[in-house]
Amino acid sequence: MDWSVGEDSRRYTAALNDSDGALRLSSVQHDGMELDSPEISITRDDHHGRLRVEIAGTPRLAHVAKVGDAWWIHLDGRIHIVRAHEPGSAGTEPAEGSLSAPMPGTVLEVHVKEGQRVRKGQTLVVLEAMKMEHRIQAPKAGEVTKLHFSEGDRVDMGEILVQIGD
Amino acid sequence: MNMTSGPFDNAPRPFGTVLVANRGEIAVRVLQAAREAGLRGIAVYSDADAGSLHVEVADDAVHLPGASLAETYLNPEALISAAGGCGAEAIHPGYGFLSERADFALAVEDAGLVWIGPPSGAISTMGDKISARIRMLESGVPVIPGEELSVPDGADHLGALAACAARVGYPLLLKASAGGGGKGMRAVHEPKMLRTEYEAASREASAAFGDGTIYVERLLSGARHVEVQILADSHGNCIHLNERDCSLQRRHQKVIEESPSPAVDHQLRQVMGDTAVTAAKAVDYIGAGTVEFMLSPKGDFYFLEMNTRLQVEHPVTEMTTGIDLVQKQFEVAAGLQLGIAQSDVGMSGHAIEARIYAEDASKGFLPVVGRLALWKPPHGPGIRVDSGVRQGDVVTIDFDPMLAKLVVHASTRRAALRRLDAALADLVALGVTTNIGFLRNAAAHHAFASGSVTTEFLDSAPISEFAEPGADPAVLVAIASAAQRLGMERAPSDDASGSVDEHTGHSGDPFRTLSRSFP
Repeated sequence: MDWSVGEDSRRYTAALNDSDGALRLSSVQHDGMELDSPEISITRDDHHGRLRVEIAGTPRLAHVAKVGDAWWIHLDGRIHIVRAHEPGSAGTEPAEGSLSAPMPGTVLEVHVKEGQRVRKGQTLVVLEAMKMEHRIQAPKAGEVTKLHFSEGDRVDMGEILVQIGD
Repeated sequence: MNMTSGPFDNAPRPFGTVLVANRGEIAVRVLQAAREAGLRGIAVYSDADAGSLHVEVADDAVHLPGASLAETYLNPEALISAAGGCGAEAIHPGYGFLSERADFALAVEDAGLVWIGPPSGAISTMGDKISARIRMLESGVPVIPGEELSVPDGADHLGALAACAARVGYPLLLKASAGGGGKGMRAVHEPKMLRTEYEAASREASAAFGDGTIYVERLLSGARHVEVQILADSHGNCIHLNERDCSLQRRHQKVIEESPSPAVDHQLRQVMGDTAVTAAKAVDYIGAGTVEFMLSPKGDFYFLEMNTRLQVEHPVTEMTTGIDLVQKQFEVAAGLQLGIAQSDVGMSGHAIEARIYAEDASKGFLPVVGRLALWKPPHGPGIRVDSGVRQGDVVTIDFDPMLAKLVVHASTRRAALRRLDAALADLVALGVTTNIGFLRNAAAHHAFASGSVTTEFLDSAPISEFAEPGADPAVLVAIASAAQRLGMERAPSDDASGSVDEHTGHSGDPFRTLSRSFP
C-alpha cells in the first residue's frame, strides 16, 4: 500500500514487523529513499478505535478511524489524514489549474467567461451554501479554458467548476 | 412522579410542558434544562433530524413535515400546531430560526401558550436596527453614527446609497436592518467597492431574513466587541450579569468568547452594565437578553444591537456567575420574580468558549460535510461541552455547521487558556474536518493570549499564522499502516462519548482525560 499525508502528494511506503503482538516500523520509504524515522512500536488498544504508539520509547495513544480510503489519526492533540493508494498508482489529484467545488451548494454568480484572462486571487465564481456566500478565487494567473456550470446550478462537493490554463 | 405537580403550578403563568422550537446543541441544552426543572420537554424535528441528538434527549418529539427550513423550523403555524398536538403549554425558541420574530412571539401568545422570550414589542423594536437606534438615542444610550437607506423598489438605489455612504463616511459597514450573525453584513473601505458589497449584502439579507433593507454605519476600527448579559422579570426587576468579550471574530462570526473581558475593569463594567440595563428597560424587556457594544481603544462604547434571545455564548456567563440562564428564562416566563438582586451577581474566575465548526480553515473556512466516525468530547474539572452531535452522526449542508461548543472555566484567564488548549487537544473528532486545530492556534496566538485582539484581528492576520504544525510523516504513515494491518477500520458501532470507562467502570469519569489515561 502507498500512503500520502494530508494535502501533500508525496507517496510513502512502510514496512512493519510483527514482534510479540506489537508492530514495529522497520522502514519508511519515499521514492525508494529510506526516511529517517524514530523507533516506533504499535499495538492495538482494547478500547475502541485506539492504538498504543510508542515513539522513541515514549508511549502515546492514537485514535484512528477509516473513512473511505483515508485513515484519520488523532495524535498528540492534532488530527491528521493519511490516504491509502494502490501501489504505484499515479497521483489522483485533479489536473493542474482546475478548481473543484469545496462543498455542495448552488452557483450564485459566475464572474468570468471562457477565454478570459484572470489574475491570481480574482473571484471566479460565488457559491452559496448554508446561507452564506463563498468566493472561489483563481489559484494562479491564467486563462479560463472551461466553465462547467452557470448561475443557479447545483454542484456537488469535488465537482470541477472552472479550469484555468496558462 | 405525580404528573399533576410541576415546578410552576402556582406561578402566575403556569406551564408543565415546553416545546423547544429548535434543533442542534441549543435544543439539547434547553431540553436538558427542562428536565432538570421538572418540566416535560418536547422536541420538533424535520426528516433530516429524525435520528438527531435533540430528539433523543426529549421526553417526546413531534415530526415537522416538509423538506425546507421554511416548511419546518421556520414555520410558525406548524410549530404552534405541534405544541397544541402534544399538550405543550409553552414554547422556547432557542436562538436563530424564529427566536427573534415578533410575529411568532405574538402568535404563540395568541394561541394561549407561554412564550419563553421577551415581549413581541421588545423584539420588534430591537429587531429593526433603525427603530432600536432611535429608542437608544432617546434613552441616552450611545450609538454608532450611521443611517438607514430606504429605497423604494425600482428607484435609483445606487445614487441614494452613494449619498448616504458619503454622509456617514468611509470606511463603513453595510448591515441588514433585519440582520444578525454576520449575515448580510459587509465592510466597505472605498467608494468603488460600494456597489458590489451592497448587492452581496442585500442578497444575503434577502435570503437569510426575507428583507433586503440595508443600513449604513461608520466602521469603527480598533474596537472590541463587548456585550452585556441582562435578565429582567415581569415585576420590573432588571439586572446585568457582567460582560462577555467576543472580539475574536471571522467575517463577523464569533469564534471564541470569554468572560470577563480583558479590556473591561470594574468601573467600566458597572457603567456598561448600567447602560445595558437602561437599554433593556427602554423596550420594557422581560427575560434573558444581550446588549452588544463596540468598545473603542479609548474606552468609549457604543450600542451595536440587542439580541432578544439566548446567545450561543451564554455558557461563559453561566460559568462565571453560577446562574443558569435557561432556568431563569423558564421562571421569568412563568411570571415569577427574578429572585436575584444586582448585588447578588458575583463573578468567579474566567470562562472561555470555543465554537467547534465543521469547516476547513485551510480552504477559506468552507463548511464541510461527512460522518463523524469518531467523536470523543473532553471532560474534566472546569470543562463543559454543549454538543448537538454524537459519534456516527452525519454532518450535512442542511443546517449551520456548528457541531458543539467547548467551554472551560478556571480561576484566572491564563489558567483558562491552558485548560482550553488541553481540552481542544483532547477533543477527538475524526471523519469530518473541523476548526479544532485552528482554535488551538488562535487561542495560543500572542495577540489573543495577551488579551489585545480587536474585531479585525482574525480577518487581517495571515492564515499562515494559524497553520497546523506539521507532524513526522514517518510516524503517521506507520500508524496508518499499522491500523490497516490490525483491522481498525471496523468502526465500533456501540461506542459513544458516554461509554463506560474500562478502568473505573464509570461513565465519563471527570478525573480522567485522554492524556492522563495512559496506564
